[in-house]
Amino acid sequence: MDLDFTRAERDFRAEVRDWLAGHVPERLPSMDTPEGFEAHRAWEALLASARLSAVSWPEEYGGRGASLVEWLIFEEEYWAAGAPGRVSQNGVFLLAPTLMAFGTEEQRHAWLPGMARADQVWAQAWSEPEAGSDLAALTSRAERADGGWRLYGQKTWSSRAAYASHGFGLFRTSGTRHKGLTYVMFPLEDVGVRPVAQLDGLPGFAELFFDGVYVPDAMVIGEPGDGWRIAMAATSSERGLTLRSPGRFLATADRLVALARDADPALADRAARCWSDAEAYRLHTFHTARRIAAGEEIGSASSMGKVFWSELDLRMHGLAMELLGERAGATPWLDGFLFALAGPIYAGTNEIQRTIIAERVLGLPR
Amino acid sequence: MDFAFTPDQLALAETVRDVLTEHCPPSALRAGRLPGWDRLAAVGFFGLLVPPEADGLGLRLVDALPALEETGRACLPGPVVETAVVAPYLLPGVPKLASGSVRVSVVPPGGAGAPDADLADLIVVAAPGAGTSGSGGGAVVVGREAARLRPLPGPDPCRRLSEVSYADSAPLDRPLAPALRAATVATAAQLIGVARRLLDVSVAYARTRRQFGAPIGSFQAVKHRLADVAVGIAFAAPLVHRAALAVEAAVPDAARDAGGVPDVERDVSAAKAAASEAADLAARAALQTHGAIGYTEELDLRFWLARAWSLSAAYGGAAEHRARIREALAGGDLRRYP
Repeated sequence: MDLDFTRAERDFRAEVRDWLAGHVPERLPSMDTPEGFEAHRAWEALLASARLSAVSWPEEYGGRGASLVEWLIFEEEYWAAGAPGRVSQNGVFLLAPTLMAFGTEEQRHAWLPGMARADQVWAQAWSEPEAGSDLAALTSRAERADGGWRLYGQKTWSSRAAYASHGFGLFRTSGTRHKGLTYVMFPLEDVGVRPVAQLDGLPGFAELFFDGVYVPDAMVIGEPGDGWRIAMAATSSERGLTLRSPGRFLATADRLVALARDADPALADRAARCWSDAEAYRLHTFHTARRIAAGEEIGSASSMGKVFWSELDLRMHGLAMELLGERAGATPWLDGFLFALAGPIYAGTNEIQRTIIAERVLGLPR
Repeated sequence: MDFAFTPDQLALAETVRDVLTEHCPPSALRAGRLPGWDRLAAVGFFGLLVPPEADGLGLRLVDALPALEETGRACLPGPVVETAVVAPYLLPGVPKLASGSVRVSVVPPGGAGAPDADLADLIVVAAPGAGTSGSGGGAVVVGREAARLRPLPGPDPCRRLSEVSYADSAPLDRPLAPALRAATVATAAQLIGVARRLLDVSVAYARTRRQFGAPIGSFQAVKHRLADVAVGIAFAAPLVHRAALAVEAAVPDAARDAGGVPDVERDVSAAKAAASEAADLAARAALQTHGAIGYTEELDLRFWLARAWSLSAAYGGAAEHRARIREALAGGDLRRYP
């Protein structure tokens, strides 16, 4: 057991830190506004020009073949530098791992380089009005058409869909429940999009209406009917490592400790606890990265990480709101607080995660 | 970066686990004061950290950490950390230390007493406040025959504290601080073992105990409480592992004091605070899951509940360590190890 970075890892950290120090912009407008969305796209393109928008991807798709540990280092530096939120999050961290694992070579070449530059920005389309935590209850369907499929139905809480160019999600092609679901990518131009304002008043997600939207076969990932397995593999990585890396919470914890430095010891204590907890998530992730590198499946254990980081994030931002009181609105902490509130809900609510931990990790009966 | 225990480190733990499963079962906790000790000594457990020139194996704390966790899992009685971890730091020249035939107890700075001091041959007594500056001094070593012990009431029947007074003592010539850091981390590792055992027995009970026609473990309220215990343990353990590496990173105290590396005391405190809280949570959940049967002296669970409480308080409770972390961070050192 050791916790030593290699020379190459330290060099990589230094390179990333230097580049970010010279390029991170002043705070951008929210990515959920038209001008903010474009500003965030431009930032992604700039990142891509330094091959830093998807460091873990192979070079042929715009990455640099970084190891998991190097990716974690990148994330630490990225958030510590105060760099913008990732408008390409859904694509880079959710769809791309799916394409790497289940897509064809043609699909990877068709979509990954553009995703890395944010030429296309992807929205996720999982939930439906009657299929939230119970995702297998979804009823949106894909029907066979000449050389492809036509999509029907409704999706909701589709993050980034208000401004994105493309989406991806599950559609029923046969069967019931988990069987007969198909993983489909689609352009948003023919989809009915109703932006939905979130708690901050801006349309961070949208409802999607499909009325026979045509997609060619090349937009299906994996075999028709195999979508549940493919999607679960992705949400496993979503919950596990790639959705919320420790770097984001380490940076928040550092800022929180600074904010609480002169606070009442009871409040400063809570800040210190958050700082240690962010450390714990970082170290736990180093261990997980080691397991993945050794070829182990992390599986349901990723649910533990999701519960831990989402509740840590909420504790941190909740404490900042207490410390700042009525002045919070003039700081980035308010937006952070509103965003943190979503953490225990998205990517599988924490109630669902706790049930998964109890049943699949601990072995308690269903 | 290889943040996982090596096969050797895990094999050592498995040996200790096998020995304790056979020779320190729950029934033994009611029968004697030092069950399993002679068998552990026979496999070399007490010489793991003793230097080779004193017939030990000269391993690092991190090498012994999974084995120490097993002593917590088994609720092994006696001054385990004091003999196996503190003594090699402070009294490496004492003959027969590695063989396990010398037992050592410790009154830590600010501690109420020494654990199982009546079973010890040597007792290290630290003055309040000693050992915090990284320098030596402030502690003495007392032979059992020169010590007067006054038993203190406490929650743990298998870890009995005694107040120590003495007529004769010898000064310690080795620095106290590194030994205390190691003891704190080792105790945190034991707490992780205690917590894992508490979770295991709670899950086993919830799978078999039936009410309303179903195992109580099928009820979401029970599931979610035990899931929280699993999360607590999962995110406390890496802090303990990191601290074990940090305390022995090859940096002299002088360089530490000069700001050469992140604050190791802060990282030790993070380990102990998190492990104490994880064990407390596991104890609370275990008792609630078992219900009234768990609230009896008759069920073996009581030994692990008591051990969670006694070790949580040993070498500083969670609140004390949380305050240390806060003070270190307020001092401005936000650097991380690694």
